[in-house]
Amino acid sequence: MPDLVTITIDDVEYKVPNGALLTDAARQAAGIDIPVFCSHPKLDPLGACRMCLVEQDMRGRWGIVTACTVRVAEGMKFRYASPLAVQAREETLEFILTNHPLDCPICDKGGECPLQDQTLKHGPGHSEFRELKTHKEKRHPISDLILLDQERCIICWRCIRYLEEWEDKPQLGLYQRGNDTVVDHFPGQPVDAKTSGNIIDICPVGALTNRVSRFRYRPWEIERTASICTHCSQGCNIRMDTRIHELRRIVARPNQAVNDDWICDKGRFMHAFADAPDRLTTPLIRDHKGGELRPASWNEALGLVAQRLAFSADIHGSQSVGALGSARLSNEAAYLLQKLMRTLVGSNNIDHRGGAAVLADPRGLNAIREVEQADVIVLAGADPSEEQPVLDLFIRRAVRRNKAKLLIIHPRRIEDARYPGVYVACKPGEEVPTFNQLSHEMLRKEAVRDRSAKLSGFAELEAALRNTDAVSPDINAAAALLAGAARPLILYGPAVVSGRNAEANRAALLNVALLAGCADRIWYLAPEVNSVGVRDMGLLPAALPNHAPISDIAARERLEKLWGAKMPAKAGLDMDAMLKAAVAGELRALYLVGSDPAALGPQGEAALRAADFVVVQDLFLTASAQLADVVLPAVSWAEADATYTNVERRVQRAPQALNNPRSQAAPDWLILSELGKVWAAFTAEDATESKKSKRKSGEAKSWQYTNAQAVLDEIARAVPAYDKLTWDALGDEGRQWEAARSAAVQPARRLSAVAAPPAAADRAAWPYVLVTSSQLFDEGTLLQRNAVAAQVSASPAVGISPDDAAREHLTDGVTVMVASVNGSLILPLRIDAAVQPGTLAVARSLAGAPVETLTNSFSDGAGTRVSLSAQKGS
Amino acid sequence: MTLLTDATRTQIRDLMARYPQPRSALGPALEAAQQQLGYIPEQAMDEVAMLFGLDAAEVRAFVGFYHMLHEHAPGTYHVEVCTNVPCMLRGAGLCAEQLKQTLGVDYHQTTADGLFTLDEMECLGSCGTAPMVAVTKRQANWMRYYEQLDSPQRIGAMLDELRSLADLPPEQLPVPERCVPGEQPSGGPYHHGHHADTDTLLARIDLPDSHTLAVYEANGGYAVARAALADQAPAAVLDTVKAAGLRGRGGAGFPAGMKWSFLPAGSYPRYLVVNCDESEPGTFKDRLIVEYDPHLLIEGIILACHAIESEHAFIYIRGEYFFAAQRLQQAIDEARAKGYLGKGIFGTGKTLEITVHRGAGAYICGEETALLSSLEGYRGHPRLKPPFPAVEGLYRKPTIVNNVETISQVVAIVRNGAAWYRQWGSEKSPGFALYALSGQVKRPGVYQLPYNTTLRQLIYEYGGGTIDDMPIKSIIPGGLSMPHLGVDKLDTPMDFESIAAAGSSLGSCGIMVVCEGVNIVQLARRTMGFYREESCGKCTPCREGGTWIEKILERIEAGEGQVQDLDLIERLTWPIERQSFCPFGAASVWGVRSLLKLFRGDFEAYIAQTNPAGEGPVLPVRPIYRPDTGEPAPNLRV
Repeated sequence: MPDLVTITIDDVEYKVPNGALLTDAARQAAGIDIPVFCSHPKLDPLGACRMCLVEQDMRGRWGIVTACTVRVAEGMKFRYASPLAVQAREETLEFILTNHPLDCPICDKGGECPLQDQTLKHGPGHSEFRELKTHKEKRHPISDLILLDQERCIICWRCIRYLEEWEDKPQLGLYQRGNDTVVDHFPGQPVDAKTSGNIIDICPVGALTNRVSRFRYRPWEIERTASICTHCSQGCNIRMDTRIHELRRIVARPNQAVNDDWICDKGRFMHAFADAPDRLTTPLIRDHKGGELRPASWNEALGLVAQRLAFSADIHGSQSVGALGSARLSNEAAYLLQKLMRTLVGSNNIDHRGGAAVLADPRGLNAIREVEQADVIVLAGADPSEEQPVLDLFIRRAVRRNKAKLLIIHPRRIEDARYPGVYVACKPGEEVPTFNQLSHEMLRKEAVRDRSAKLSGFAELEAALRNTDAVSPDINAAAALLAGAARPLILYGPAVVSGRNAEANRAALLNVALLAGCADRIWYLAPEVNSVGVRDMGLLPAALPNHAPISDIAARERLEKLWGAKMPAKAGLDMDAMLKAAVAGELRALYLVGSDPAALGPQGEAALRAADFVVVQDLFLTASAQLADVVLPAVSWAEADATYTNVERRVQRAPQALNNPRSQAAPDWLILSELGKVWAAFTAEDATESKKSKRKSGEAKSWQYTNAQAVLDEIARAVPAYDKLTWDALGDEGRQWEAARSAAVQPARRLSAVAAPPAAADRAAWPYVLVTSSQLFDEGTLLQRNAVAAQVSASPAVGISPDDAAREHLTDGVTVMVASVNGSLILPLRIDAAVQPGTLAVARSLAGAPVETLTNSFSDGAGTRVSLSAQKGS
Repeated sequence: MTLLTDATRTQIRDLMARYPQPRSALGPALEAAQQQLGYIPEQAMDEVAMLFGLDAAEVRAFVGFYHMLHEHAPGTYHVEVCTNVPCMLRGAGLCAEQLKQTLGVDYHQTTADGLFTLDEMECLGSCGTAPMVAVTKRQANWMRYYEQLDSPQRIGAMLDELRSLADLPPEQLPVPERCVPGEQPSGGPYHHGHHADTDTLLARIDLPDSHTLAVYEANGGYAVARAALADQAPAAVLDTVKAAGLRGRGGAGFPAGMKWSFLPAGSYPRYLVVNCDESEPGTFKDRLIVEYDPHLLIEGIILACHAIESEHAFIYIRGEYFFAAQRLQQAIDEARAKGYLGKGIFGTGKTLEITVHRGAGAYICGEETALLSSLEGYRGHPRLKPPFPAVEGLYRKPTIVNNVETISQVVAIVRNGAAWYRQWGSEKSPGFALYALSGQVKRPGVYQLPYNTTLRQLIYEYGGGTIDDMPIKSIIPGGLSMPHLGVDKLDTPMDFESIAAAGSSLGSCGIMVVCEGVNIVQLARRTMGFYREESCGKCTPCREGGTWIEKILERIEAGEGQVQDLDLIERLTWPIERQSFCPFGAASVWGVRSLLKLFRGDFEAYIAQTNPAGEGPVLPVRPIYRPDTGEPAPNLRV
């Protein structure tokens, strides 16, 4: 209960929280909306614009004060409606408007502009200004994404303060002074903060405009849909503004638990794919291998898919059919895809990229904003600045406001390594020795020994670490930092728990967490929008919905009863195995939903070419779709009702905001349920003809869904953790599922001795370790469609440390070949101080350079060794 | 290729080490870069940003705020002519015209030989020796005031001297002491005087080498501090100052002892910041102390720091006080060498460091919170109060900000006691002050007088009356920011209460005398021009309102005024005064409003004469309401 004090506004007494800003107190207690410009609830008080003036009683004398800077205390008296207070606010507005261009008719902000609104409510009604207005630059780009109109700017500093206080990137400043003051960036250094677009949202005038959406909407003409962003696992809340079947603009929608008031620039600006002209609009069929894809009806296409998949399962066994989904699929789509595979095809060959290969903790984070309560934040194999920029804002906030320190364990010196704390360079594949060294050093601290001696496994761990080699000063510092932390928090990314070392890595990291006393605050940072959700839905070869292992008979029976169909008891193939099996001729038919293995290099392409029958369900004619026999046109997240589960297992709605009347494309859930109906009808027919059919026959009625909400209703029955999460219950801010309700097995809370995996052989031939890095603006399918993406994303290159470049006598920009046993890429070299010696870094999802060409598998991050050679003629 | 040499980089790193937080050295570092390069190109800003670990945008924002930091290269000599009111009243207009004609350039232009760049400048603290110019030699670490430029001969002599110095290496340039061209001797303290009983602050300044420690000590210097540190507890010194009722000399007149007692108990470190930004037009008293008796200030600082238990004092001196800063630094070095500063001063366990911090040209930095922003390496924007600096000031530590004269007064007060001090002045304004007299009087200068001295006494007894015995039209009693008083107020005693009762404020004790014959419209326009030029731009009323009033006054002066404009100006002054972020807003309009009140007839007559038809301004039609998507090329300008 906050400490309440009594204040008086216009002779009425109110109880308000002690120390609150008067603007907040007046709004909450008295319902008085004191007008502001520079003041913003998420920025520190400034008091510059003088819009919020009220009178305050100062020992009997009434004086004008700014309500946005006064913190209330017992007995304070204010006048808001007094003639002088009203006049003062009118006068401030009169001043603000003197040099404002008043080009409202063509201003993007028009209709949702605080300056217009305040002028209406608090303006003087006339102006005596008869002088020439001060002229400044009207179209001044501060980045490829944002344009600044310096004439409209009223110097409230919100943009500057946002970049300073939240981004910690003071890339905008006030230049000159007095009436010449302008907001500007440094010449040649445009604003490149990853969440820069938020300054457009908080600009109280039309000074900052969105270059993607500029002049494309009038605020009163658009339809607004509360939705979420699907570019990463944060699931930031957004509002989609649409008009005449086009997505005109995306703005941030506040959700304090998830994204505060902010979204990142990828979420805001990179949505052109939804309206892209090359979207698939009709099903396509290739009548014979080598032929062309031709448009077809849904009936024909779905009939063909059902027939061919059933045929393959019939003739070659159900294990000859596999499905690859994606962590970008909605819960509904993932659920129906696995249901279709398990009940109709009868195969557990179900996976997605980053699925079975990742030993993910399905709980994700306990709560995103817990990072702000930690005093030491460990980032292991995660690069939030590129991967989850909004989470990164909270981490920066923790660092700058709460003096939190960062312990970064990463192959690259990531951007957050600029903060106080310790950076430990850790090559892919060397996680176990690194974590072990850290444990070893921590065990030398009295306090750590005291608190962990009682843990089971203590003696074994101590014995196993006895022979640890001398450690680097970084490890030493890291151990000291972690041992001294009062409330540490560990976040680890998928890179740490992917591939063959996943178990060992996780166990070694858990030792660190136990010794640091934060075994209950070690969280897995899932990467993609629905990484958590598709696992909950069982889009995995060896796990059912709700994470029960496929071997769990009771769980199987429960689902079989719900679905009215049998399912196979044997675990299926994971993604790598499926693609290998396809090349080997064992997997004959592949159903790809939002999955594009052909884009991941020659291996993926070979698998699709080898398969008898490939179905691709996607937005675009992807590399895989170009090899498919049937292409089913799906719709984007903007065009269908769906739910997604974010990194803190918050299930959130993304309702339909858009439809394209000229397209036959359909939502994934609808395609899948229609396919299920066709299949069920088809096999029922078939069964009457041939009693010997071994196929399980599905019932068409179990595929009757009237809408996505109906699918979600079934999910609530199939996945106990989701049992209360109906569409209505989720509301606009979503709900977390309770961690305790999941059948997932949690890692044991015990210390364990973890042996380091053997070092890779033949270091001479392959002297470097490959690092696959993330960058926010990549050139994946969805980003390619944005005109601005090409400007903001870095072109493909291979990063090398300055030391290695010098040793190899290579200069920045030369063309090099990076090769591994799996393949090679030819790329320009980029000397990058963030890259550590002995490693080469290639970013994922850059056009023309699928890093997966080099890696041992599509998801194993553990240290592919590569060689580097300069290309002739460069 | 980097622009900054290793020497400059080393210099910058040394500067950073001088401050508790390195960012404070940003201004000095940019000055160092400018000394090397002659100006600060964008690349240099970027390089400085790298050295400080700042974003280049922060550095450019800083450069853009301060007038002495140049983004474009000036000529060999940057000749800045003060045209502010005190100089204007003494013929700055003629001086400027003469310079323009002789050099063949206008403001913001450079002569064809690249030797001279001419600019208009705001008050430089030479009001008693007006008109004047400040000359900065590029890349020579040399800046000099040329004063009393009241004849073409003197201007010619100055330019001749500058030409003769153009090719000299920096070390052979003359000492940059103030100079009256063609006169022998050309420098030395400018005119000053005192009441017979109150010669404490200016007693030594006429002695040869008055600025040296030897002369200071030979005349009783440092005895007070030595004794106080040995015998008196900090609280005792503080009590003495409090009992004396010493009022701050920066302008607000806040009692210094009371301010010191606001420091939160037990909170350290504490800082003393001495405000030597003396930029209020018509104020030039601190300069005299710092140039000719810097050890008096140092002794005052030692006493004040003893009283407030501070071990680090900063002297924020306006960048244009180049010679004064040199003298001050020399004096500090001397005192340090003798063990009067540093560790174990006077053989006691006390420590005291004094850091001289040069400003870079911004009037607003005289406001204490803006000064602290500037001293921390930011644009000089005022900060919210509370917290007051005494609680949360420099680097968010308890900080006392006092004016040079205030601190200098402490020496005599501690030596002679509170009762001694209180025998002069009034109950609420006890003691004496330095009055800076300028404008149209025969003997402008600095006078140390008791607080109850009347304006008439100052002007006629000490100042010798007006030039050519012209009748007085108005008096500004406290620096340009304060309202004008009519001639009927001549017998007002110059203490805070009496001047306030007369309708103005004593401010910084800068008294300017305006005689009949001065164009009041021009005076008002030039006054407003100063505040428009120096507004920091943080808050709306000051930024927009000041500009608006200046535009109206410019229009009136140009002959397009209407009588109703006068009502409008008057109306606009109220919200600017009432609603601005800091006291600057009020200060910016008091002068103009008082002129309107006192001399409305003059304004009306001017309008009637220059715009007999009474026509209003003709405004161009703008804007064009068409969405112009013709954005610049996607590549950002470089």
